[in-house]
Amino acid sequence: MNTQSNSSSLKVFFQLLVDRPKTVVAISLLIMGVTLSFLPQLVKDTRADTFLAPDNPALLYRDKVKEQFGLSDPLVIAVVNESEQGIFNPATLSLVDWINTEVDQLSNIDSDRVVSLATEKNIVGTEYGMEVTDFFDPVPANQIEAEFLRDAINDFPLYLGSIVARDGKATLIVAEMVDELLAEDTYAEIMAIVDRAPVSADEQLHVAGEGAIAGYLGSYIDADAQRLNPLAGLIITLIIIFAFRRFSPALTGNVIIAASVLMTLSIMAASGVAFFVITNALPVILIGISVADAIHIYSHFYELQARHPEQARKQLIVDTMLDMWRPVTLTTLTTMAGFLGLYFAAYMPPFKYFGLFTAFGVLVAGVYSLVFLPAAMVLTKVQVSKYFIGKRIAGKSDFFAQLMSGLGHVTCNYPRTVIAIFAVLAVSGIYSASFLVVDEDRINTFHPDERIYQADRVINQHLDGTNTLDIVIETPGVEDLFIPDNLKKIEALQVYAESLPFVRGSTSIVDYLKQMNRALNDGDIAEYQLPESSDLVAQYFLLYSASSDPTDFEEEVDYDYKLANVRININSGSYQDTKGIVQNLEQYIIQEFNNDAIQANLSGRVNVSYHWIKDLGESHFVGVAIALFLVWAVSALLFQSLLAGLFALVPVAGSILLVYSTMVVLGIELGIGTSMFASVAIGLGVDFAIHTLDRLRSFSSNLDGNIDRALERFYPSTGRALFFNFLAISCGFGVLISSKVVPLTNFGVIVALSVTTSFLASLTLLPAMLKVFQPAFVNVSKVNDLEKGGSFVRVATTVLAIGLGGFFLFPAIVDAAETPSADEIVQRVNDVDDGEYVTRKLVMRLTDRRGRERVRETFGYRKYFGDEKRSIIFYESPANVKDTAFLTWDYPDPEVDDDQWLYLPAVRKVRRISASDRGDYFLGTDFTYEDIKLEGSLQPADYNFAFLGEEAVDGVVTYKVQSQPKSEAIAKELGYGRTEFWVDVSNWMVIKADYWDPKGEPLKSLTISDIHQVNGIWTRHRLAIENHKTGHHTQFIFSDVDYDSPVEDGVFTQRSLTRGR
Amino acid sequence: MNFVRTPQLKLLGAILIVFGNNASFAQLDRQAFNSIDFSITVDQQLTINSNDGSTQKNQTTIQPRWDADLSDSTSLTAIGRARLDTEAKLGFSGSNAHVDLELRELYIDAEWAGAYWRLGKQQIVWGQADGLRVLDVINPVDLREFILPEFEDHRIPLWTANVEISLNEDWTAQLLLIPDQTYDELPDRDASFAIRSPLLIPTAPAGIPVTLGQTDRPQRLFKDADAGARLSAFLGGWDVSLNYLYHYQDQPVLYQLRDESGITLAPAYERTHLLGGSFSNVFGDTTFRAELGYSSDRFFLSDDGNDSDGIVSSGEISYVLGLDYQGWRDWFVSAQIFQSIVTDDGGSLVRDSVDTTATFLARRYFLNESVQAEALFIQSLNNDDGVLQASLEYEWSSNIRINIGADIFFGSSKGLFGQFKEKDRVSAGIEFGY
Repeated sequence: MNTQSNSSSLKVFFQLLVDRPKTVVAISLLIMGVTLSFLPQLVKDTRADTFLAPDNPALLYRDKVKEQFGLSDPLVIAVVNESEQGIFNPATLSLVDWINTEVDQLSNIDSDRVVSLATEKNIVGTEYGMEVTDFFDPVPANQIEAEFLRDAINDFPLYLGSIVARDGKATLIVAEMVDELLAEDTYAEIMAIVDRAPVSADEQLHVAGEGAIAGYLGSYIDADAQRLNPLAGLIITLIIIFAFRRFSPALTGNVIIAASVLMTLSIMAASGVAFFVITNALPVILIGISVADAIHIYSHFYELQARHPEQARKQLIVDTMLDMWRPVTLTTLTTMAGFLGLYFAAYMPPFKYFGLFTAFGVLVAGVYSLVFLPAAMVLTKVQVSKYFIGKRIAGKSDFFAQLMSGLGHVTCNYPRTVIAIFAVLAVSGIYSASFLVVDEDRINTFHPDERIYQADRVINQHLDGTNTLDIVIETPGVEDLFIPDNLKKIEALQVYAESLPFVRGSTSIVDYLKQMNRALNDGDIAEYQLPESSDLVAQYFLLYSASSDPTDFEEEVDYDYKLANVRININSGSYQDTKGIVQNLEQYIIQEFNNDAIQANLSGRVNVSYHWIKDLGESHFVGVAIALFLVWAVSALLFQSLLAGLFALVPVAGSILLVYSTMVVLGIELGIGTSMFASVAIGLGVDFAIHTLDRLRSFSSNLDGNIDRALERFYPSTGRALFFNFLAISCGFGVLISSKVVPLTNFGVIVALSVTTSFLASLTLLPAMLKVFQPAFVNVSKVNDLEKGGSFVRVATTVLAIGLGGFFLFPAIVDAAETPSADEIVQRVNDVDDGEYVTRKLVMRLTDRRGRERVRETFGYRKYFGDEKRSIIFYESPANVKDTAFLTWDYPDPEVDDDQWLYLPAVRKVRRISASDRGDYFLGTDFTYEDIKLEGSLQPADYNFAFLGEEAVDGVVTYKVQSQPKSEAIAKELGYGRTEFWVDVSNWMVIKADYWDPKGEPLKSLTISDIHQVNGIWTRHRLAIENHKTGHHTQFIFSDVDYDSPVEDGVFTQRSLTRGR
Repeated sequence: MNFVRTPQLKLLGAILIVFGNNASFAQLDRQAFNSIDFSITVDQQLTINSNDGSTQKNQTTIQPRWDADLSDSTSLTAIGRARLDTEAKLGFSGSNAHVDLELRELYIDAEWAGAYWRLGKQQIVWGQADGLRVLDVINPVDLREFILPEFEDHRIPLWTANVEISLNEDWTAQLLLIPDQTYDELPDRDASFAIRSPLLIPTAPAGIPVTLGQTDRPQRLFKDADAGARLSAFLGGWDVSLNYLYHYQDQPVLYQLRDESGITLAPAYERTHLLGGSFSNVFGDTTFRAELGYSSDRFFLSDDGNDSDGIVSSGEISYVLGLDYQGWRDWFVSAQIFQSIVTDDGGSLVRDSVDTTATFLARRYFLNESVQAEALFIQSLNNDDGVLQASLEYEWSSNIRINIGADIFFGSSKGLFGQFKEKDRVSAGIEFGY
């Protein structure tokens, strides 16, 4: 019979596992080892930007603005002097100068983007017009000069609040980074400067700002994870030892934990998914979940062994597995369903990945519990503690069994009361959920004792705020921003913005113009207003540039005076405080501001944060709904009863509602960390209900449907196991409570609370409901049970197959609809056909910064020999390099150096040369050997790629991709710290690229033009590259490109080099 | 005028006729002539003797070049050279002390019968060593300025039939037949770089007159031709070659015939077998080069006054080991050690039986390789003499290069280098190329 064959085939399966334990353990460890080889590729990404999909419009626009005005999230250093004089004394001012100089020298700090009293300029009127002088020219040497400076600053409203506190007690040094991905190191360097700064008793230094937050968060979270994960593992080990009075279950439990956690992280690394801030919770969660199955299996085994000490161990293990495989599979599937709910509902990539990969980890734990564990039990010669056999013989149970039996007594005796209590709790939960507040403030990620947290408070208290919102003003024509009407609109917009709560100040070109107007009218405060005509505005800018650096305004206005930026300073980063600002400004811009002559758009950190938090609440509730539905669907399918699915949901639904009430009572907001608790709570909590339902059903069918007797057996056995299961999970999450990352602490509290509730509800409410309502699905006859066993296999297999299918297919479907990932773009670029062989002419034009030009005319060939690429280039002119020739054999294995030969006519000899360091410049051009070799393709072995969005380049739609060398060593070798390139979506050719050196300074820009098909192959005909450091530039002009005429193999030989053909 | 000697010209004519039968030559029509490519370099050099401030050379070198594609696989190259020197202190062998016209190279490149032919007057370089000659002995050299000029300029091209045959994917064979009896050109006795070192020129005891007899120069076009073969391959990352050359040494042996009237020098050219090989490979940023040769019949000056002809005949083993380092951006650094070992010295050699020379080269590029600074140091370890050559070259534009340099000799005046220690010089020049 089918049923018979199913259960017997399972028996054969488990028998096989226990008969070949060494092979099974070895294969399990081997699979783990192979997977772990990907782990070193895991990268950490703590930027706030990661919480939005890379193609999110708010993020794209913010990046565009960043590029236009060079704005980025700054690091802010505050110098505070609470003495009577405030910061206006010679010592504090020279401290500012000292810090400014030190910060300026850091490699990742953009020297042009350090703003402080030491860099800013005063605008004053003179007899001849206007004079622009440095405030620190020189640094005030005595109190009188310091007071002069105080007066000058007080006379310049623009700097009040933005750089110097209105009360004169604090001043800022604001520094922007060249590469925000290096924020962690830069923050550490800044902290080192602050620590060695010559500070007097009255002075305090503080470092904050989004740049600092991103910088510190990485190491902060690392430190936290390094403390939490071992602690969680240790606690769980202790719990297992305590539960079974044996060491081997702890050992095998830890192997399953390691498999689940490490393999999941490895698969993340292999799929190129970064370790985000919230990924920190993943290991702890998996530690708690993955050990649960092992606890149940061991518990059941020991129970059987205590009952039948005479039976062979292997036989008992097989019996255990035959009893336990079903609940283990069930809980694995339902827990996965809970986390996949998060995956489907979340709109932020880190959450999506969190859901997806935790589900994967749960799957690994389930599979290892069913396959590795029985084999390991044989090898470790698992033996129940004599303590339990003794108890059994004495007809007693241990304390925990008694405790659970006590709980059973209460439930059985007062089922209706139990139901009533939970009903009240549920109603109050629904009611309080409506009071839940969605909020998030990045600074609150840090413990209030942290320096950065306090620095943020101090700076926001003294100055206009560390949080910035940018309003980008766009006009259609060149110099439209000279038009007084436009300027007045901007002025009005600033006035409106400053009237909003939490907005402390704003800066734009209007403020500078007003100050210039005042300076040119004898410093009369009444003249602090906009000039009245376009001509005057133009003249002011001209006058300013006559006495100062014209790039001073590049953060406020573009070169053509078409675009301007208004930066708004806000002294709170909280979503609740800033959402009103964003909403009001959006409304004002639409209703009052925008017309054909001028348009405004919001950008900046606060706007980006608004956009990713605003949907958090909705996403959370959708996530809960999806998770509940999935768990219900899976349980219903597995129990083959819609009602059973519903029963399984009751404890978790109750626990979630209770958590909502608790959050409202404790004032915990629904933020990034807390919003994902529900999926976790559902996934974990449902396990208790599943075990309870499954075991009760099994007992009751064995006992002819007598639910009371079934409950009597249930509490000391399964109840006891569930108690340790609960203990392991709640302690695992309890560890999170000790986290210093505040959202994780909150997360730990509420998950621990919800798991406790689920556990209690599963052991009280659920049995009470079964007893009171006597649902049909519990009362299945023994025969049916066996039949059910057969169909269960089918159903479970189907669910698993659908789940796995979705697991692997869904990302593909989603991605196909969205823009391709960076790696896909790179793959497409590299897949562009470049012909098996090619013949072509190449003219190289090398021009130095003085415009002196050197031209080389060459021709060359390239051919693929399998994966090996050989190319040769011959110089034809000028006469003094004629016949020089260069041959390269480029091998596919990146570990194997290329072979290169150079023929120098002056010595008439082929010289073997070492494969040039890839970052060396090719024969005096501005291309490196690596650039030449790649011929427009991209090397995934060297770089991590990130998609930066869609962008139009000269009317061509492109994908912009960033490539970051995988290590500092690679960056050094290639000479590039970072590159950005633009790929034409129509033909997958790179048409533009920018390069930065390993220090983050702009290095080179490449533009590729005249791309057209030759013999059906897209071909680059003109490459222009400029080195920004040397001013040297190189043009490559290809002509007579021919992919059709075969090229003989003999062309790529030393003989050919000497013969010049 | 040192123009083409007639026998070789006839030979070229014969070769042209042979190839004329081939389809490639039949295509020598108007279109082919249209693809003639002409280029020319004009180099003006001024060299001052830094010891006495006198002008050593003020020379204009004009080097025109024609390249004509005769068919897809056949081409003709002709390179001429005119040297005009206002000083005439270097000892031209030309008709006029100030003017020297020469057909430097004239050869035809063809692919015929599955082999690659280069027929005509040409330069062929063997070996891996820079500046030091172990296997690079096919072409004679012009020693008017000792070894100071670039090899390209002081190597004398020869009429040669040169064929290269690919044996398989890895191995290539080269066969040479050189029916050209041109040998090293030595400067006149009163020229700036006249050879005086007793290592090369026999010295007679005071009072004994020395007369220079007739030079015994090979004359027979084919019987006295040099012939050689090379097998080369790229094997497992190594460039290797095996070389054999049967040739006349390019400097005459100075036999000394003694009688009552004194000593008569009877210069004669002698033949030898040269068997050798070379190999090179790259290890990271370092290129390792080596070259080894054994000459069966070499002739050295003897210091034994009773020797019948003042010459010791022996075999000679010589080798060069070199390391090039390119690990620093824009730098090229190279060191070589050269050793010559006389296998059968008989205890009466003027030179040491083991002679060792070391060279060190450092080159640095600047400004996208438009400026090149170089220092080459050559030191004889036996005689403690040597030379330091320093130069700086600037590529002003595609067509103009400017250079300055200095050559400083030091050590014993009896040594190969030290003999010129009064000839230290500084130079400046400009080169145009079109």
